[in-house]
Parts: sequence; structure tokens; C-alpha cells
Amino acid sequence: MAEFIQLIWSGVLNGLCYALIGLSLVLIFKTARILNFAAGTMAGFTGWFAWWWATKQGIPFLLAILVAIIMVGIATLLIERLTIRPLINENFLSIVTITLGLEFLVANLAINFFGGRAESFRIPGDIQFKNFEIGGVRFNWWHIVILICTFIILAIVGYIVNRTELGLAMRAFAEDKDAARLMGIKESTVSQWTWTLSVTVGGLTGILFAPVLFLQQDYMNIPFIKGFVAAILGGFTSLSGGVLGGLLLGELEAFAVKYAPRQMAAALPVIIVFFILLIRPRGLFTRAKAHERV
Amino acid sequence: MADNNVTTGSAMNRAGIPVPGYIKRNHILGVFFFALTFLLLPQFDQYTTAIGFILVFAAVGGSLVIAFGAAGQFTLGHSIFLGAGAFLSANIANDSYGWGRGLEVEIPIALAVCFILGLIVGLPSLRVNELYLALATFAIAYVGQQVLYEWKQFTAGGSGKSAGDLTLFGWEIGRGTPYIRLSLIIILVTFWICGNILDGKTGRSMNALRTSETAARSVGINVAWLKILAFGISGAITGLAGVLYIHNLRYAGPENFNVHLSILLILTLIIGGRHRLAGAVVGAIFVKFLPELIRDVQEYEGIIYGGALIFLTLFSPRGLIGLIEASLRVVGAQLSKTPVGKILPNSASTVIEPIDDSVTPLQSASLAGLASSDKRGHLTVTDARVIFGGVRAVDGVSFEVEAGKVTGVIGSNGAGKTTLFNAITGHAKNAEGIFTLDGVELSNKPIYTRSLSGLGRTFQNLNLHGDIRVLDHALIGLEREMHYGRVSEAFRLPHVVRNERKAYERAAELLDHMELLEYWEEKVDDLPYGLQKRVDVARGLATNPSVLLLDEPAAGLPTAEALQMMEHVIEYAEHIGCGVIVIEHNVELVADVCPRVIVMDAGKILADGTAESVMQNEDVIAAYLGT
Repeated sequence: MAEFIQLIWSGVLNGLCYALIGLSLVLIFKTARILNFAAGTMAGFTGWFAWWWATKQGIPFLLAILVAIIMVGIATLLIERLTIRPLINENFLSIVTITLGLEFLVANLAINFFGGRAESFRIPGDIQFKNFEIGGVRFNWWHIVILICTFIILAIVGYIVNRTELGLAMRAFAEDKDAARLMGIKESTVSQWTWTLSVTVGGLTGILFAPVLFLQQDYMNIPFIKGFVAAILGGFTSLSGGVLGGLLLGELEAFAVKYAPRQMAAALPVIIVFFILLIRPRGLFTRAKAHERV
Repeated sequence: MADNNVTTGSAMNRAGIPVPGYIKRNHILGVFFFALTFLLLPQFDQYTTAIGFILVFAAVGGSLVIAFGAAGQFTLGHSIFLGAGAFLSANIANDSYGWGRGLEVEIPIALAVCFILGLIVGLPSLRVNELYLALATFAIAYVGQQVLYEWKQFTAGGSGKSAGDLTLFGWEIGRGTPYIRLSLIIILVTFWICGNILDGKTGRSMNALRTSETAARSVGINVAWLKILAFGISGAITGLAGVLYIHNLRYAGPENFNVHLSILLILTLIIGGRHRLAGAVVGAIFVKFLPELIRDVQEYEGIIYGGALIFLTLFSPRGLIGLIEASLRVVGAQLSKTPVGKILPNSASTVIEPIDDSVTPLQSASLAGLASSDKRGHLTVTDARVIFGGVRAVDGVSFEVEAGKVTGVIGSNGAGKTTLFNAITGHAKNAEGIFTLDGVELSNKPIYTRSLSGLGRTFQNLNLHGDIRVLDHALIGLEREMHYGRVSEAFRLPHVVRNERKAYERAAELLDHMELLEYWEEKVDDLPYGLQKRVDVARGLATNPSVLLLDEPAAGLPTAEALQMMEHVIEYAEHIGCGVIVIEHNVELVADVCPRVIVMDAGKILADGTAESVMQNEDVIAAYLGT
């Protein structure tokens, strides 16, 4: 039993990472129909950046995180203004191309700025090395922090999307761009804050998981791919679907590692997703769209 | 050209449409650059590996011009074809664990295996497009790499395999310059074939598919097969590139063929310009040679690629080649002192007057042959029903249209007219009822089969192929007249060229008839609305239909212009003996051109008869004017 719960817990932990990245991807996709290929790299950059402030500049841990998040947020506002907004009404491919370009750019910047070597992200009190046990199941203190922070992030994003005026505008845009424009919603505002929100969620994920994954050159690349898969499972247009998809994928992986043949373990989740795409292209949790007019 | 049958007075000749032949300007340019590289190669001895990589990337780029540039399938899965080709080559060529055969075996097998692999990778494109296709192919590339890691006999797992000896029919080919020269020749042939495919009906229908899938279906293009085929052809060529890849690097390991490579491959083409084969070469040079040339820059490779990509997307969506084209155009304009910029189609610079007024386009050599006194287009509709949720858009409609007749369908908005058309053509997926055309049953057949059986249509909301020339719209409609196979097309055999010439002739005469000839070179997006409507109709007529369904062809046009267009359409229809059914709100127009009028209301037929009798029908008056 304890072993089983341990397995589920490890799935939950990975799942949270995928869920947050998935959420960050869905946020942008849902409102702006943009696939952000740079999401993983930007999240990784934020993680590195926080590390740089904390270790290289000697700023207190929490302050370093805050500074990193705010600076990346400002950079995102700039990037959105300069590269995304001019293309906002072009076809989906132009902006996807831009994000691919950003991916190369940010990844290269990170290597040049932070050095290519692997580093470990020290947390005050070294709680990432401290465990406790309940009924034979081992828990790590930092993992508990991750769990709590994830809930806080989800609650804040949920509040912004469902309870604020900005969220209302975002949902209006997701529903119908043209109608939203006619109702006097400013597209540039929505675009800019959606980007910032999404990148911030990604950045926090990058920081939260940096002690777990270790800071390496592109340590957020695999989580990005998995987050991507989570978003696909959730249908890419549903925020809760993305989160559920992440958790589902995390569990799937945990059990695949345990029970599937070793060669299959890495590829199995992706194979499953591939077939889901073939059978239910719009994801597991969304209904099919109404037919298209000719 | 002595052997062609283009007569001096023909529309094609008057409009100056180039006759399709074997040699194009691009071929001369291509051979020139080929020869230049071929001869200068020994000067760049220290760069041979880099040049080899440029060639590999150029070949992949060429294959992506087909799948992505023409057919519009945004794929992130091409790394696995490259991997498959590379490991096939290693297993075939290497003496120590393979077969010890040369390129003459490696290349055909790589082509064949990757073609089939391409057909499989293309499967998701049947269900999803754009973003979701990118995701699906991304997943395939990811899984593909895992397979390479785990399939130890094929790839030796993580340690990878080294390339075999480089031989061709037993000849040993030296490293360095001789090898690069050989790959140059291979690439030249590959590009020639790619160019032929793009110029032929395959390329044209791929472009049609990219710009409007719905319209492509309705002119009789088997969209599903074409998408898969695009992946197959593209995969095969990338597999060939894979063979060159491993011989260039002398080694291949699974780690080389990751998802990042897939992304880099498609980025290379986007940087170069995806609408032209030259874009593939320019992109490959930029991505693979620039960092080699400036060693200091290598550290900042990502910044350069990323920066270039962002810059080009913002300022030159057609890539570097688009930038080159645009600057050449400016220089050319400066030299000839004509103003830069487009001349509005409304004031076409040259109005093309017929040389001989007595010969109308319909009497021209290519259209006279179509004249038919046999009337076609006997259409029966029995109990057609289309239901959307709770709305009965078409509710048990039955009627019969005699061959070769012009029939009007009128009714208020929401009466179900367009839905009825969609039911007949197959665009309404949940339509019930029996539809037969000239005795052939159409019900439950896919859209393109119905079109091939003689059902032509136009669209209410203009479904044109955005950035494609007017002439090509007519040619897309004429695809079914081009009787040549895809293999002959790839090698541009004489009968392909003959067929193309005939089609061009006919397309030009048709455009002349529809008074579109002077705009043949314009992209439809640049045309004013009235002309776009005419292009839509011309495309429908080009399919040589038995019955042509026109969905509000005159909407938004002044009555005089609409009437003139309808006259042209009916004249052409009578010439080829086809029937016409037209949905129209302009009652005046309908009364003028349609001997028979069907009035629909709330999904049912309200009245049916001559225009006068229908107009006096009390139900019709009530439905139109309200009671």
C-alpha cells in the first residue's frame, strides 16, 4: 500500500510540473491561438535568472525570485510589444515562427549569460534534502512546498481568469475575437497581459522545479514537451483540462516506469497521446466544435 | 517553339502567357549556380563538411517546399526521415555489419522506405491541421527518436553506426571534393524533380489544398490522398538527404535526430522562403554556412537564427528569397523607370483586345471541341433533409432538374438554399436523401467524387485560393483533364508537357470568355470583389461540369454587371451542354435568366414553376412580403 501511494505521489509531483507548463501554454493558446514554443526555454531562463540573483549576486532567496519574475515579466511585455503585436492579425504560422525564433534566441542567451555548466539551486535550510515519513510513505519538504505553491498559482490564475475584468476580456477573446473587439475590448491589452501571465506561470514553474531537476542548459525542455502533451490531453483550450492532463500524464508515466517494459517507458505516454490525437483531436475533456460553414 | 499548337490569335498568345515547356528560367539559374559550385569546389577544401551539410539541408528544404510550402502541412516530424535514411544507408553500405552495397542500392531503398514512412506519418493530417498537426508530428518525431534508441539491430542504440564505404556501381568515390560533387549532382536532379512536381498538376492541387481545402474538394481533388502523398514525396526526398547526411558526417547516432533538428529543418526553410525551391538553398546556406564562415559567431548561433527568424517574420514573410526578390524588383523598376508598386487591377494596364472579332473564345480551337448538343445535368433530389440540432434547415425537399436547363432557387435568408446545395455537393455531412446526376447516384459519396461525376459549384462567401494566380484557378478546375501520372510528371515527360499546353490553352480561352484574361497574372486576393466572383465561376466552369450550382453569384454586384456575368455563364453552359442551378436574391435577375424558379421557405419548397407563375403565387407573396 505504502509503495502504491509513493508511486502516486511521485506521479503527482511530476504531474504538477506538466500541469503548470500546460497551463501556461493553454493560457496563450486559448485567448490568442498562439502556440508558444519558447515557453519551456523562457521558464528555464527564469529559473536560471533567479539562481543567478540568489547565488551570484547574493540576494536573499525570496527577493531573488521576486526580482527574477518581475524582470522577466517586463521583458515579456517588451517582447510582446515588439514581436507579437505587429503580427496579431496574421495567420497562426507567423507567430509560431516568432516563438520558435524566441526559443533559439533565449536558449542561446541563457548559455552565454549563465554558462553552460550544470548547477544546483540551493534553498535556505536545504529543505530539498529533508524528508519526513507518514505511514511508510516518504515525503520531501520541498515537494510539499511545490504542492502548496502550485495550488496558490492555480488559485490566482483561476481568480484572474474567472473573477477579474481582464479575465472576462480574455474569455471573451477566446470565444470570439471579432465580437470581443466590437464590444470595445482592447486586443493589445489582452494580448500583453495574457503573455505576461503565461510567462510568469512558466517562470514560477521553472523556479519551483529547478531544485528538483537541477539547473542544466535546457532543463525545462523535457517538462516543456510533457506540458505540451498535457495540454493536448486537455484539448488545449481548457485551463482545467490542461491541469488535469498534466496530472494524468504524471501518473501515466509513474506507472509506465514501474510496470511497462523499460524500452517503452519513455515513449509510452507520447505514443498514447499520438493515438488520442488521432481519435479525439480536440482532447479528452472538450466537446467537439460545431460544424464549419462553407 | 515550333512544335506547339498555339496559334497567333489565341488568347494565350494575346495575353502573353508563357507556354509550358521543358526549360524554365529557374533551370538556367539553377544549372549556373550548380556549375559554379562544381568548378569552384576545390577552392573550399576546408569547408567540405559544411558544404555537405548545406546540401543535406537544401534537399530537406526542397522536400519541405512540397509538403509545407505548397501543400501547407506544417510538420515537425522530418527528423525521423533523415534518421531512417541515414541508418538505412549505414546498414546497406557498411561491410562490417551490413550488406556492403553502394549508393545505387542505398538511394532507391531509402526513397522507397521513407516514402512509405511518409504516408504513415501523414496520417494525422487527415484528422487535424495547422497547430494540431504540428503537435501530432512533433509527437511522432519524439517517438521516432526513442525508437531509434531502442532498435539496437538497426541503430546500435546510443553508440550509433558509422557510414559504409562510398561506392557507386562498384566505383570508389573519394572523400572531400569528389563526394561533394556527386551529392551536388544528386541534389540538382532532386531539385529538377521537385520543380517538375510543383509545376505540374500535383503542385497546383497542393497549392489549392493549402489555400482552401473546401474549394479544393469541390473541384474534384482527393484532398485526403493528396495530403498523405505530400508527406510521402517529402519523406522520400528527406530519406535521400539522410543517406547524404551519414556519408557526410561518416557517423550517425540516435542523438542526432531529435525534435530540435525537426524544428531547425522547418526554420531553415522559413528563413529561406518556403514558396520557392531557391528558398531552401538560401536558407540552408544561411543556417549551415554562415556560422562556419565566421567562427567567432558560433557561440551566438542561436541568437543569429532566432534573431533572423523574428526579423524575417516581421519584415519579410517570404523569407530571404522574398527579400532578394523584392530588392531585385525595386532595382528593375529603377532601371526601367516605372513606378514601383502594384497597378490596381481595376485599371489593368493592358486591355487585351481580340485580334479578330469574328472568332469568339467559344469558337477557338480549344473550346470549340467542347461544344455539345447533348444536354447533360439531369439532377434528381429525393427527400433531402439536413438537420442542425433542432433546426430543420432542409426538410424533405424533392425536385428534378432537366438536363441542360437553367433553374433559379430563391427564398428568404435561412430558407435552406445554401444548405440544400451543400447537401447535394456533400459539404453538409449529415445530409440525408437520394441525389442522382445523369443516372449516377451521388448520395454518401465524398465531395470530390461528386465533383468528378459532374457536379460543379461556386461559393456564397467566395472560397478562392488566396495567393494563387487567376490563371491557376482555371487550371485547378481543369486538373481532371490532365491525363498523366505522377511519375511521368516528376520527370516531365513529353505527354505531360503536351497535356499542360492544352490545359493552358483552354484555361486562357475560358478566362477570355469570362473577361478575365487581362488579369491572368494577378493573385486573386488583389482583385476587386466583382472579379473574384467571376474567378469563382470560371473555376467552376473549368471543371466542365454536367450541372453547375451557383451560390449567389451576383450578390454584391451591380445588376448590370451581374446580368452580364450570368449571360457569359449561360452562354458557356449552353455551349458545353451543362445545366445551371442558381441561388439568387436578386429576383429581377432570376426572372431574367431562369425559365424555371424554385422558391424555398423554411427548408421546404414553397412553389415551383415559371418565374411569372411563381411571382403570382400567394404563398410566395406572403413569404416574401409578409402577411
